[in-house]
Amino acid sequence: MIELHEIVKRYEEHEILKGVSLKVSKGEVCALLGPSGSGKSTLLRTINGLEDFESGHIRVSDIYLGPRNDPKRYHALQGIRKRIGMVFQQFHLFPHRTVLENVIEGPVHVLGVRRDEAIERAKSLLDRVGMLAKANARPATLSGGQQQRVAIARSLAMQPEAMLFDEPTSALDPEMTGEVTAVMADLAREGQTMIVVTHDAHFARATAHRAVILSQGNIVEAGEAKQVLFDPQHEATKRLLDRNRS
Amino acid sequence: MKGHPMSTDLATDRFHHASCRQQCRRDWLGVLVFLALGLVPLSPTLAQNRLDQIRNSGILRWGADQEGGGPYVYPSPENPNKLVGFEVDIANELANRLGVEPAYVQGQWDKLPDLLNRGDIDIVLNGYEWNPSRSERFGLSIPYYVYQLQLLVRDDDDRIESFESLKSKNSSVRYRVGVLGGSAAHDYLANELGDQIDIIQFEGASEVMRGVELGLDGLDANLQDLPVWNFYRSGYPRLRPAGPPIGPGFYVVMTRKEDRELLKAINEAILQMLSDGTLRRILSTYGLWDTTQAMRGLGVNPDGSFVGGMLSSEDIEATSSSTEVFHSARGWTVVQQRGLLLARAAGMTVLLAVCAMPLAIAVGMIMAVSRLMGPTWLRFLVQTYIELVRGTPLVLQLYVIFFLLPELGFSIHAFWAGVLGLAINYSAYEAEIYRAGIQAIPKGQSEAAMALGMSRFLTLRRVILPQATKLVIPPVTNDFIALFKDTAVCSVITVVELSKEYSIHARSTGAIVELGLLTAILYLAMSYPLSLLASYLERRMAGGAR
Repeated sequence: MIELHEIVKRYEEHEILKGVSLKVSKGEVCALLGPSGSGKSTLLRTINGLEDFESGHIRVSDIYLGPRNDPKRYHALQGIRKRIGMVFQQFHLFPHRTVLENVIEGPVHVLGVRRDEAIERAKSLLDRVGMLAKANARPATLSGGQQQRVAIARSLAMQPEAMLFDEPTSALDPEMTGEVTAVMADLAREGQTMIVVTHDAHFARATAHRAVILSQGNIVEAGEAKQVLFDPQHEATKRLLDRNRS
Repeated sequence: MKGHPMSTDLATDRFHHASCRQQCRRDWLGVLVFLALGLVPLSPTLAQNRLDQIRNSGILRWGADQEGGGPYVYPSPENPNKLVGFEVDIANELANRLGVEPAYVQGQWDKLPDLLNRGDIDIVLNGYEWNPSRSERFGLSIPYYVYQLQLLVRDDDDRIESFESLKSKNSSVRYRVGVLGGSAAHDYLANELGDQIDIIQFEGASEVMRGVELGLDGLDANLQDLPVWNFYRSGYPRLRPAGPPIGPGFYVVMTRKEDRELLKAINEAILQMLSDGTLRRILSTYGLWDTTQAMRGLGVNPDGSFVGGMLSSEDIEATSSSTEVFHSARGWTVVQQRGLLLARAAGMTVLLAVCAMPLAIAVGMIMAVSRLMGPTWLRFLVQTYIELVRGTPLVLQLYVIFFLLPELGFSIHAFWAGVLGLAINYSAYEAEIYRAGIQAIPKGQSEAAMALGMSRFLTLRRVILPQATKLVIPPVTNDFIALFKDTAVCSVITVVELSKEYSIHARSTGAIVELGLLTAILYLAMSYPLSLLASYLERRMAGGAR
């Protein structure tokens, strides 16, 4: 359902993505791993247009997203963003709104859902991520793990066909990582299509169907998650897993 | 009373004092209007006969400034809501003789000729004296009063006996003489003794007298209009006149140059008032009837025979029974008497501020957004607007809106001109404040909004601007309080707000300190609640802090 074709991304002289292609089917959980600076976050962000690209194209269901100079880009992105949710490393909750208001923001103002309906649904989502008790709290009063769970609920409220996770646990203390990965594993079990950029090989092994390893703007290894992560073939993957273990 | 600013160019160039800046500003504003008048064709309404218009409307609009004080036009001591003064009486008589009702229009004294050109008033009747340059640009009537100047010194100062004493060849010291800036006395001093004395310019006639009494800034003397001295002398017991009155001149009624029928009708009315004794009666009421008026042949009896230098018993009776002559009011009494008027004028200040500030914020916000996110041409336009508005003084902007727009066919009420001017001026500052506020919101916020599928506009409205607004509360409050005080500038376009009302009453009563304190308290009473409101808003929104 998400297909990236020969994506090239340059920043000034530096080529960050060197023609990357990737296909993620419906219901699949795909983990993107790689050392810092390998381009994995950038790749993820091209899918919903937070980064543009010089050449190649992206297809999300029936929507075609062209490179930066494509005049139809803005229109295509509005469609893609309604279908694909995103969860950030730094949560990016709206600090001027309560937890509940954060969650109904998208449905009410983007999808035009009636407010009472949106609240009803938001409450059940907050309940699902274990945050209903804090519905009326401000984000600033929550811990990092709690904020990230609210951010996941905010994204789910749009009923996305797929979700992008950009290092969702990297900013969290180890104790809080568990509460977030538990929610994500729960989503995976229910068949949510997910692309997860992560450093956490343990999580990838446990939850992802497929693992894709990026190094210096290229995919160096891809395959079934367990196989790639238990029996790496490529040097970059081995180094990555060694570092992860220590 | 005063000379036109343009006639004092030379004088101000030669003498550099603190108030010179203000004078120069008036001068070049005058030049600006003059240029604009030359460039823009006269609007069609002026082509009609002004006298017919007045008769059709039944109203003669006459312009004056009550800040000038007694005995010209000033709030009645008994009832400060009522205007009195010999010019009020003359205006009433003139209107009466034209068969219409008089309507007083308040304007800043030095801007009255501009109000005349703008078409807001039909005549100026406020101590404007005849001079050649003025007579080229305006219609000037036959005089209704012959004024003289009086040199005033401290009672215990025996160095100065007359105007002659000021001359450097008669004295070892260089005297410092105070004068009302831009007045006829100012012109006279500059012409006669410009290189031999220091001329200190003041903004109000009564301040100079107080200044000499107290010896402020080394002041030795004051050259004052005789009517002012006669009117206020009881309030300044430590001053005495030095020598006889000097430098006579004519107070005249001003009309637009092209309103010849009106000028003719005014002249006829003044002649009538002369020949039936009305003028003499009015001048006597205010203690202004003197031998000078008589020498000019300005007085006859009701039976038509000339009244010479001697005052008739009738005149003396009129003078002594006059209740309108100045009693300096001080202390608690004056605060009680005028306090309500000041409070009411504070209402105008509030109204100006609360109308202008939301406009300024809205426009500033739109411009900040345009500047950050608009296309290149729009950014350039906004940048130019901000630099232009921020780099020019408010007084000039108000002046352009009020006096120059009508020349281009856009007329605007003084109050709304004030609101518009303040809003435009402050919008430039709010734009920069908002720009900083928007730029301070982390990029992640707009990314999160966009990832939810929000359009750029929705992202601004729901995510960026609410957070930026919280950030800018302190600087915007600062500007709101500054704007409150800047409303005072609106007095140049005839809006009477708190500080103008203060000047009017401080000058007509002499209670500069008492009313000044009251005015300060009123300003504080308006701005302090604003500060409280701002810190309340900040606290209330603090829940959203990261």
